[in-house]
Amino acid sequence: MEDEAFTDINGKAISLDCQSHSSFCREFTVSSSKVSIGKVMVYTCSVWLLSYAVFFFTENTAVLSSAIVITLVGMMLHIHFVKVDHESLLVIGSLGIQVSSNYASGRETTTFIEMSKIKDIVINEAIYMHQIIYYLCVLLKDPSEPNAVSSVVPLFQSSKPRLNCLVKVYKSCQEILSKC
Amino acid sequence: MVLKIFFPQCCNRADSGLLVGRWIAGHDSAVVLAVIHYPFIPGQVKQYVQQMQAQSGVELSVLGSWSLPKDGQEGMESFLRDLSTIFPQKCWLQISRQMGKTGFTCNILNRAQNGGAAQQEVTKKKDEEDVKSDGEAGGEEEDKEEEEEKVIFVHYEQRKVMLSQLHPIENGVPDPKTDPPSELRQMFQTVAHSQPLFFLDKYDDGPLKSTHWQSEGREASIIVELLKQASVPLCLLLSCLLSLWTWICNIRIFSLHPLRFLSSKLSTCVQLSYRTQHMRTLSSPKPAAGHTQFMRKANILVSFLVDVALGMLLISWLYRDNHITMLANTLVPAADHVAKELEELLQWLMGAPAGLKMNRALDQVLGRFFLYHIHLWISYIHLMSPFIEGILWYGGLSACLGLTFALSLLSDMVALLTFHIYCFYVYGARLYCMKIYGLSSLWRLFRGKKWNVLRQRVDSCSYDLDKLFIGTLLFTILLFLLPTTALYYLVFTLLRLVVVLFQGVLHLSVDFINSFPLFAVGLRICRSYRLAEGVKFRVLCDEPGTALHLLMELNPLKCSTVVQTYRTPTYSCYPKDSWAALVKKLFVGELIYPWRHKTTKAD
Amino acid sequence: MHCSGSFSHLHTGSLEVCGRKHNICMVSDFFYPNMGGVESHIYQLSQCLIEKGHKVVIVTHAYGRRKGVRYLTNGLKVYYLPLQVMYNQSTATTCFHSLPLLRCVFTRERITVVHAHSSFSAMAHDALFHAKTMGLNTVFTDHSLFGFADVSSVLTNKLLTVSLCDTNHIVCVSYTSKENTVLRAALNPEIVSVIPNAVDPTDFTPDPSQRQEDRITIVVISRLVYRKGIDLLGGIIPELCLKHPDLHFLIGGEGPKRLVLEEVREKYQLHDRVRLLGALEHKDVRGVLVQGHIFLNTSLTEAFCMAIVEGASCGLQVYDRVAGEEVLPLDRRLRRLRAHCGPVAGSIFAFVAVLDFLFLLLLQWLVPDQVMDVAVDATGPHGLWRQETSSKKETHSKSATSS
Repeated sequence: MEDEAFTDINGKAISLDCQSHSSFCREFTVSSSKVSIGKVMVYTCSVWLLSYAVFFFTENTAVLSSAIVITLVGMMLHIHFVKVDHESLLVIGSLGIQVSSNYASGRETTTFIEMSKIKDIVINEAIYMHQIIYYLCVLLKDPSEPNAVSSVVPLFQSSKPRLNCLVKVYKSCQEILSKC
Repeated sequence: MVLKIFFPQCCNRADSGLLVGRWIAGHDSAVVLAVIHYPFIPGQVKQYVQQMQAQSGVELSVLGSWSLPKDGQEGMESFLRDLSTIFPQKCWLQISRQMGKTGFTCNILNRAQNGGAAQQEVTKKKDEEDVKSDGEAGGEEEDKEEEEEKVIFVHYEQRKVMLSQLHPIENGVPDPKTDPPSELRQMFQTVAHSQPLFFLDKYDDGPLKSTHWQSEGREASIIVELLKQASVPLCLLLSCLLSLWTWICNIRIFSLHPLRFLSSKLSTCVQLSYRTQHMRTLSSPKPAAGHTQFMRKANILVSFLVDVALGMLLISWLYRDNHITMLANTLVPAADHVAKELEELLQWLMGAPAGLKMNRALDQVLGRFFLYHIHLWISYIHLMSPFIEGILWYGGLSACLGLTFALSLLSDMVALLTFHIYCFYVYGARLYCMKIYGLSSLWRLFRGKKWNVLRQRVDSCSYDLDKLFIGTLLFTILLFLLPTTALYYLVFTLLRLVVVLFQGVLHLSVDFINSFPLFAVGLRICRSYRLAEGVKFRVLCDEPGTALHLLMELNPLKCSTVVQTYRTPTYSCYPKDSWAALVKKLFVGELIYPWRHKTTKAD
Repeated sequence: MHCSGSFSHLHTGSLEVCGRKHNICMVSDFFYPNMGGVESHIYQLSQCLIEKGHKVVIVTHAYGRRKGVRYLTNGLKVYYLPLQVMYNQSTATTCFHSLPLLRCVFTRERITVVHAHSSFSAMAHDALFHAKTMGLNTVFTDHSLFGFADVSSVLTNKLLTVSLCDTNHIVCVSYTSKENTVLRAALNPEIVSVIPNAVDPTDFTPDPSQRQEDRITIVVISRLVYRKGIDLLGGIIPELCLKHPDLHFLIGGEGPKRLVLEEVREKYQLHDRVRLLGALEHKDVRGVLVQGHIFLNTSLTEAFCMAIVEGASCGLQVYDRVAGEEVLPLDRRLRRLRAHCGPVAGSIFAFVAVLDFLFLLLLQWLVPDQVMDVAVDATGPHGLWRQETSSKKETHSKSATSS
């Protein structure tokens, strides 16, 4: 069902995958672009060149080996903790909403929010770095006051899709929420 | 509305029979706990369910029927439907599944009244939908979509759900009026509380047979039981010893003022009282009341054991190869060396340190004063030197109580050995503080203001000429003497800070050993389902047209949250000021750690 | 998605459809929750413009935890940008650092007119400068009077000269203010118009029965800060009280200079004659005012003294005139800057303007206009605010800002 091409707030292409498991259960997956080989090459080469420059002056081979270790460890940490491959949102009517993000290394973090805690899903505006962006978020109920919002859970935090993509997800989420 | 049925994975291949479980009120969901097999006598089933309900405190009931016809068993359907008249329920589930054909039907019988006589059947039979089985689910169950009533099947692993603890922990009895616990929490509670139901063994010869989770390690559990039995007298013995110890501690002599003050300052004493308190928690013969308390006890026990083990390691190192004598022989010359270095530092300060020109008279007075102190200190060290080895030898024994004791003792010894630095710091700080206060009030006078004590604010005030003259004169004198004092203050504060830093590292490590929740972290690593942050769902069948079909997995708690939740609260003796407050205190010349409360009293 | 090329086209299209409706952006450092004349002026003006069918957004800096995007009555959208506050609620200015955020606001809201308020607000000057760089029309409203003698006035006046020489139109709140502004900023008086502030007469009806006839009551209502001349007030209170034994003071307002008044009161034993009321609610102001015979204002910089402004009644004619003006290309702008502001300051600011333009180009390369989402209009011709049934709902945001 991918007809439109979506981009994130920086203009990079992302893809939205809507899976409808049943009339009240849908899964939205936003996949961001993969780690580009060019970027990895640039970073690796710059670190190695730098270490070679240091080696040239100090003539200490430990510098070179440490540079290799640094690049390897840095890459591993990056794909394990920073680079998010895809984020998904599973909306199950009358049960809850599950938000999960899969890192490039395969690590997965998941949070499930029960329907009784959810007040609504809205599109909101925020100031992010030097931009003002739209984002989708789940409003949580305050247990003491039924009408108040206790906190906000932002969705698709690392892929940051643009408004047209958000609106699409928002509309089908509201369809399910209004039914149950 | 969507009906949610929590179905245990172990019952996927159970023989036909009755579903026993609980309706969760207000949420339209049912938790299936076990399947009671055919053949059975309905009266016995009723009796059994009531008995279980009394034992577990969960509102158990017969939810419906389950059929998995084997060869040659035909005509079950009608029989199972008739059963619904025997077990009056608001709603009767009829879940059936066929071997081989991966078929799975769910009919729901609603009845208008609970009476049972006038019952409406809204059952709709639908064609079975063949769905590919999901390998990981361990079964190939499908469910059917009803027209007006949709069904979600949530498959859960009974053992994990039973043993896990959902976080954040809710303590005490939840108030039913304010906020009923959420659906998942109720479901977890139901499974956890219905343990008596699971004691019925598959191979027992009883009137009823049922399928549910059952433990496989009977032998291990016997050992655990024996250990539990044995721990009671041990606890009693421990508590006797503890009461004796507390009695000794409470003797009059120890509560006299100087002793009590001293003991509150010595970190060994603090650690001792802290450990006593821990042992008291451990030795109470009653079983732990809730999850939190159980975890607390376990954490304390494990960290105590680890502490003692580390202490033993230390002892085995210390008393081998005469390490103690070596230490003692290096300690006295080191103290001498420090004193000599200090003396040189003072000599340097009394000249023109770093090319600064100080007030000569004040400089000399201060320098001589401090030099005399160092002289006193060196004689003290020399007096002590014959005993140091003995002290170390006996002090080393304290490590058998745990590494924390050895570290606390080390911290105390460092504090005693560097007492002269502390004295210097106090003198310097007092002098500096007085100057700063004087300067600030004279500066106010200079600007024609004064501090209004009554209203706690600065007022403007017109001074006489002679007052102004004297004030300005004093201000000038103080201002020009300030650099000399400030230099002494700076140097000794830096020295003091080095000592405090060292002691702080020791205290931090003691605190770390005392409070780190080793048991909880181990549990998180080895049995990650025991501490659950929540749940996560996976969709098992994703063909359009079939109803929803989820697998519920437990989401283990994050390691940082484990540490945060289960950290044993400790008495922490380091200052709680922020860094900015600390810097401000240093600048103004207020005394920092440790005699903090005493200075506030003096002011 | 509207790319920058089609952006102006779309705008003219919308103009044809709904007459001369503008997208107006009010910029000032001073806005609610800060209280004062400028703040209420901006608010009332915006409300009236919304009623006329224009789209209005307000840009100000973050106040404490209030940052991000908020909506006020009738869908008035307020951006609280996380810029560093330097002094007296005025942001620090470097001429450049606010450009990315302001550009984002101007682009996504499709702003056509930028209206800056108050010469004390550094953000307003920045916005004028950036708006000119981006080729938008600008209006400036001055609310204060200023001297010419001391160092701070000289510097502020120079800054004002620079930032106003680019501005299409200037509004002053009184004729005195106009003279003052024209002199300070060396402006052509023709582009300065005066729209006196108005007080809603229905809110402020006299009620002589409230006065106590056996005494003379002087009412002072202002924020107790240096700029409002509270030191002067503290000086005259004892003298006046000495001369007229039946004189009483009623002082409403709160601020750091309250201490001065308290001290005066204690020193001259005037507790029964000088009453300090503390902070007043808007609705209580009339109740205090009617108790007095004389209203005293000691402000050092006030151009038009008032408690409540209903300012927007005339706002529109100004905007219509402004929108017709052309936007200068960069080279002519530079020439004007140099010609107008003297050789030294002019050259410096011309250089700054070039840098600003280059910075804008860099930003446009980094984050192109096409990538920025166009904001959903709450007010204006395509405003969604009144359509309550609309599925698109944005609540008051509690936004996660990171910088």
